Amino acid sequence: MDFGSFLAAPELKVKIVTYRDIFQNKAMIEDRFGEDYRTRSAIIKLDPADLKSLSVKKGDTVILKNSFGKVVVKAEESGYEPPHRGIAYMPNSPWSNMLVSNETGGTGVPKFKDIEATASSAKGEKVTDFEF
Amino acid sequence: MEKEYYVCTGCGLLCDDIELEMEKDLIGKVHTACRVGVAHMKESPGEAEYLVDGKKVDEKTAIEEAASVLKAARNPLIFGLGTSTNEAQKKAIELAEKLNATLDDTSSFCLGPLIEAILQEKFKTCTLDDVRNKADISFFWGSDPADSHPRHLSKFSYFPRGQEKQRGWEEERTAIAVDIRKSHTAKICGNEFYQVPPGGDAEFIEALIAGLSGKLPKTSFKFPPKKLLELANILKGARFGVIFVGLGLIYSLENLEPLIKLMDTLNEKAKGDFYLIPMVGHYNMRGFNETLFEKTGFVNSVKFEEGSVKHGPGYSVVESLKAKTVDAALIIGSDPLASLPHSIAKQLLEIPLITIDPCETLSSRKAKVSIRSGVSGVEAGGSATRMDGVQVPFRPAIDAKRPSDEEILSKLMEAL
Repeated sequence: MDFGSFLAAPELKVKIVTYRDIFQNKAMIEDRFGEDYRTRSAIIKLDPADLKSLSVKKGDTVILKNSFGKVVVKAEESGYEPPHRGIAYMPNSPWSNMLVSNETGGTGVPKFKDIEATASSAKGEKVTDFEF
Repeated sequence: MEKEYYVCTGCGLLCDDIELEMEKDLIGKVHTACRVGVAHMKESPGEAEYLVDGKKVDEKTAIEEAASVLKAARNPLIFGLGTSTNEAQKKAIELAEKLNATLDDTSSFCLGPLIEAILQEKFKTCTLDDVRNKADISFFWGSDPADSHPRHLSKFSYFPRGQEKQRGWEEERTAIAVDIRKSHTAKICGNEFYQVPPGGDAEFIEALIAGLSGKLPKTSFKFPPKKLLELANILKGARFGVIFVGLGLIYSLENLEPLIKLMDTLNEKAKGDFYLIPMVGHYNMRGFNETLFEKTGFVNSVKFEEGSVKHGPGYSVVESLKAKTVDAALIIGSDPLASLPHSIAKQLLEIPLITIDPCETLSSRKAKVSIRSGVSGVEAGGSATRMDGVQVPFRPAIDAKRPSDEEILSKLMEAL
């Protein structure tokens, strides 16, 4: 048995900004329940230093959670410069929408691009599947 | 032989130069379109499908069931319509009036305020054809057309040789991006990419206005003043400048005042004129906004009530679901269970849903009544309003086996 599985995984507070991705959009049009759409949607792009602090490698799954929901996605290195520790990026999708706050201040506009969540290693847990 | 061109309804650009090669009665090859457009035009047309509680029924049964859900509702919500033709949208508005329904589209949580301000003439705007022919500055602010509108740069805003811009991007056009990350569009803009921190746009606008007015531009995030002054100088030299505003900017601003002030300053200080074009995603969101505005004076978030119209954020899809004020929903060409925050969309699971959509979606899977409609521009003809307000008519590319949104809404209206 892996002794590490009993240790609490390091947690990191992240501000998640969502974005559009042409390849993910094409995958959605072709099959919104397909593997390609899930692979291109259920990801979070992190600063390499944040990946290290979470003790996860690129391609590992991470748990993202806040008071609105929880989702398991794959971690990737953002490749963006300059460093952006604490800021992470997700393509706009049902996976990012699991974490968007329902607080709108009565404006009708959710904060799709301003999500606060905690990230931690999912220790091999599978990417979240959707069926409400 | 004269070539036949089709319109792609894959995004708000409505590219009208699409060539198709047919194989038997289906679309075999799609030429000219972008990656998204090819996938969109080749979406499998399939057979008409009518489901009630997940079971296949005939058209009459589905329409009658949908009508009975809507009749029984005290305050039904009609939502979506960004991927419906102008003609279908008009039918949906009629239906909302008849039902005393709440009516909204995705613009209430995206670019609605900007479209409304354009229709109220708070911004100078121009067409994409003007951009192709005249623009020397294309300024992408919180928008990333390389991903969201893939042919924007090649067809209109940067690479083409327009009537007055024959030397194109190499010599006569400058592309500028302001964003919080180096998007694919920002990469194309090279040195003219200005990175701001999340939520920093209003402050960047203020500093840019200072720079345009000959003052020292300062920001709390210490954006280099020299670089900001260089940007101000580029903008001052513009003869035909266009700002393409995306959600990144709109979500970052509390209201449109800073943007209005910036456009006014640019038009005062620059050599030529500055215009604004909203980067509308869905192919006919602007059509819905314009049609509703013409009828009611509002672009979205309305509630019809015995001949009068109420309006405000309280009638938006988000607030209506949060406050549980709607007791049934007719969703046309949209998938709110996927596109809204789950914390809000889950209320849709508590009320009967009717979906009209070419695809199976998370929402259609939960619908009491689900009807598969034909894809506009592939199986159904009509007209739409491009992101810049230009009307674009289109015809179907193949013989449809599925009814259009417009036909389904007409039948629903008759059944009511």
